[in-house]
Amino acid sequence: MSAADLLNLFIAAVLLAGVYAAMSVGMTIIYGVMKIVNLAHAGFLMLGAYFVYEAYERFHIDPLLGVLLAFPVFFLLGMGVHWLLVRRIATSDQPTLTSLLLLFGVWLVLQNLGYLIWGNSDRAILTPRTLSSLEIGPISFPTVRLVVFGAAVVSLVVLEFVLHKTWFGRSVRALMQNNEAGQIVGVNVERTAQVAFGVGIAFAGAAGGLLAMLYSFSPDFGATFQLRAFVIIVLGGLESFGGVAIGALILALAETFCILVLPASYQPAIAFSLLVVALIVLPDGVAGLWNKRRRWA
Amino acid sequence: MTTLFAPRLSRRSLGRLNILGIAVTALALLLPAWGQDKGADEIRIGVVMPITGREAKPGQYQREGIELAIKQINDGGGIFVKSRGKKLPIKEIFYDDGSDQSRSAGMVERAMSSDGVVAVLGGYSTALGEAESVMPDRYQTPWITPGAGATTVFSRGYEYVFGTLSPIDLLGSTTAQYLGNLVDKGKLSKGLKVALALENTDHGIDYGRGIDNWNHEHPGYFNVVFSEKFELGATDFSGLLQKVKNAHADIFLADAHLQDYITMHRQYIQSGMYHQMVSYGARGPEADARKALGAATDYIFAGIWWSSRLSYPQVKKFNADYQAFAGHAPDSWYPATAYDAMRILAAAIEHAGSLDKTAIRDQLRKVELKDSLLPGQVLRFGKNGQIAGSFVIVQNKPEDKVDIVFPLDAATGESIAPKPKAH
Repeated sequence: MSAADLLNLFIAAVLLAGVYAAMSVGMTIIYGVMKIVNLAHAGFLMLGAYFVYEAYERFHIDPLLGVLLAFPVFFLLGMGVHWLLVRRIATSDQPTLTSLLLLFGVWLVLQNLGYLIWGNSDRAILTPRTLSSLEIGPISFPTVRLVVFGAAVVSLVVLEFVLHKTWFGRSVRALMQNNEAGQIVGVNVERTAQVAFGVGIAFAGAAGGLLAMLYSFSPDFGATFQLRAFVIIVLGGLESFGGVAIGALILALAETFCILVLPASYQPAIAFSLLVVALIVLPDGVAGLWNKRRRWA
Repeated sequence: MTTLFAPRLSRRSLGRLNILGIAVTALALLLPAWGQDKGADEIRIGVVMPITGREAKPGQYQREGIELAIKQINDGGGIFVKSRGKKLPIKEIFYDDGSDQSRSAGMVERAMSSDGVVAVLGGYSTALGEAESVMPDRYQTPWITPGAGATTVFSRGYEYVFGTLSPIDLLGSTTAQYLGNLVDKGKLSKGLKVALALENTDHGIDYGRGIDNWNHEHPGYFNVVFSEKFELGATDFSGLLQKVKNAHADIFLADAHLQDYITMHRQYIQSGMYHQMVSYGARGPEADARKALGAATDYIFAGIWWSSRLSYPQVKKFNADYQAFAGHAPDSWYPATAYDAMRILAAAIEHAGSLDKTAIRDQLRKVELKDSLLPGQVLRFGKNGQIAGSFVIVQNKPEDKVDIVFPLDAATGESIAPKPKAH
C-alpha cells in the first residue's frame, strides 16, 4: 500500500471521526448534566434526518442550511419533551432504570411516528455534493464528509465557548462536576437541566441532518449510530466534550485501520472490544487519564 | 398432628369439583372445534413479513404481491375445497415481524399454533427466513418463503418448508455465467481479475460459492484476486474499498442489502474507483437506490429472480394488475415471487381437496404452476422444497431505464460492457 493510500485512509478516518463526534455530543450533554442515558437519541437522529430531507425536498433548502434550522426546532422539541416527561423522573447521580425505560419508550414512539408519517421507504438526500470529491494531488476528500466534519468541529468549538464563557455554560459545568454544590451556589437545577436537555436534543437533531447527507435512512435509522455514540462517550469519559472528540477519533481510526489487517466483518467487534477495554482499563475514559496526568504535573 | 395437605374435602365439595372438572375438560375439547368452526367458511393463511425495520420496503412489496393474489382468488369466489363441497375465501392473518429474527419466528409460531392457519407465507431475507424455518415442522404446517433463498434454509431435511426463490449460489453462478458470456462475445477480455465483497450472511456466502463453482468449472475466464465479508449496516466502507482498490481487480462484485449498497456505492464513487463491471448481487434497479445515487447507478448489473420486463403475457397482466392494486409499478423482483407463492399454495389446497395441512404439504411437493411469472414460466418445488428456476440479469441504463441483458432469449437490450469510465 502506497503512502498516498495510507494518507487517504487516515483522512477517511478523521472525517469519519467528525461524523461520530457530531452524533455523540448531544448524548454527552444530557448525560453530563442529568445522568440520563438518552436511549431516545436514535429517534431524534432519525427525526433530524427527516427534517433536513423535508426541508430539501419541499422547500429546496440546502441540507447544510437545513441542519442550522434543525438546531432551534429540536431545541424547542427537547425542551418540550423535558417539560412533558423527563422532569418527572426523580433526580439521581446515577442513570436510573426509570429514565432508561422512559426514553426507550420515547424512542419507540418516535420510530412508529416516523412509520406513520413517512412510511417504510428508504430516503436519501442527493445533491451535487453527495458524490463529489475534492482532489488535492493523490489525496481525495469526499466533499460531503468534509462538510460534516467541518460542521462537527464548529459545533464542538461553539459548545466549548458556550460552556466556558456564558452563565448557562458555567451552570452546566457546575452541575456536571457536583450537582449539590451547584445548587448551593445558586444554580437553578431544573431550568439548567431543561435547557441542557434541549441543547442535547438540538445537537441530536442537527447530527441526524448531517448523517442524512451521508446515508440513506428510514424510521428505523439511528440504532447503529446510537451504539457507537455510547462507545464514544464511554471512551471519551462520559462527561467531557474534548473526550468525545478524542473518543470519536480513536473509534474511527481503529475501525478504519484494523480492517487493513482484519476482515471487514470484524468492524462491529472492534467497536465493542474498545468499549470493553475502556470500561476495564480506562473507566473514566480518555478525559480521566488526561485529568490524572494534569494532577501529577 | 399437622398435615401437609389441605383439610379433607367433603363429599359435596368433591362432587362440585368433579362437575367443574368435567366442564373444564369439555370446554378444552370444544375449544379446538370452536376454532375450526370459526375458520370453517374461510381458509386462514398466515402472512409474516417485515413492513418496519431494515427490510421494510421489500417486505411491503412482498405483502402486496401476496395480497394481490388473495384478492384475485377471492374475487373468483375463493378456492374450491372438495371436502366442503364449495369454494372458500382466503382470510389473511398478517403479522409484521419488524425485521427482527426472534420476533419473526415468534409470529410464525403464533400463526401456526393459535390462529388456525393452514399455511404460512413469510420470511423476506435469508436471515428472517432462517429464523422462521424451524417452526413449520414443529407445528406440521406448510410454510412458503418468497424471500429467503440461502441453501441453509432448505438443507436441514425439513418436510414442511418450501421456497419460491431459486438458490443464491445459482445467483452467483448465473452472474459469473453472464460475465463469461461477455468474454465469449469479446466485450470483456479473458483472465480478468475479480474482487468480491460479500455481506457476512449465508446469502453472501452462497453468492460467493456460486461464483467460485462456476470459475472452477470454467477455468481461465476469471481470477478471483480478493474476497472478503463485511458486516450488515456498516457505517463506513473506506477500509474495505481501499483493500478492493489495492487488489487491482477489473471487476467488482458485491453482495449487499439495499442500505449497504447505497452507502458502499456512494463511497465507491467518492473515492474515484472504477471497474469494468460492477454488481451488488441482487440489488441494482430499486427505485430507492436510484433516487439515492442518481446516475451513479447507471451500468450496474444485478441478478434477480424476476423482472417486470419479461415478455410473457402473464407478466404483462400482472404488471397492470399490480399497478392498479398497489398504486405503483413493481419495484424489482419482490412482489412476483410472493404472488406466485400464494398462487401455488392455492393450487395445492385445491388439489388436496381439504384443509388438512399434511395433505396440503403433500400436494405442494407435486403441484406445478404452469403460468408462473418467473423465468421459465413453470414453478415447481424440488425435493428439498426450493425451486430451481433461472435468474435474469438486468443492467441499469441512463434515464432510469433497466434492460434484461441475460439470458439472451429474454433480453430486452444489449449489455454495455465494459461500463463507460465516467461511471
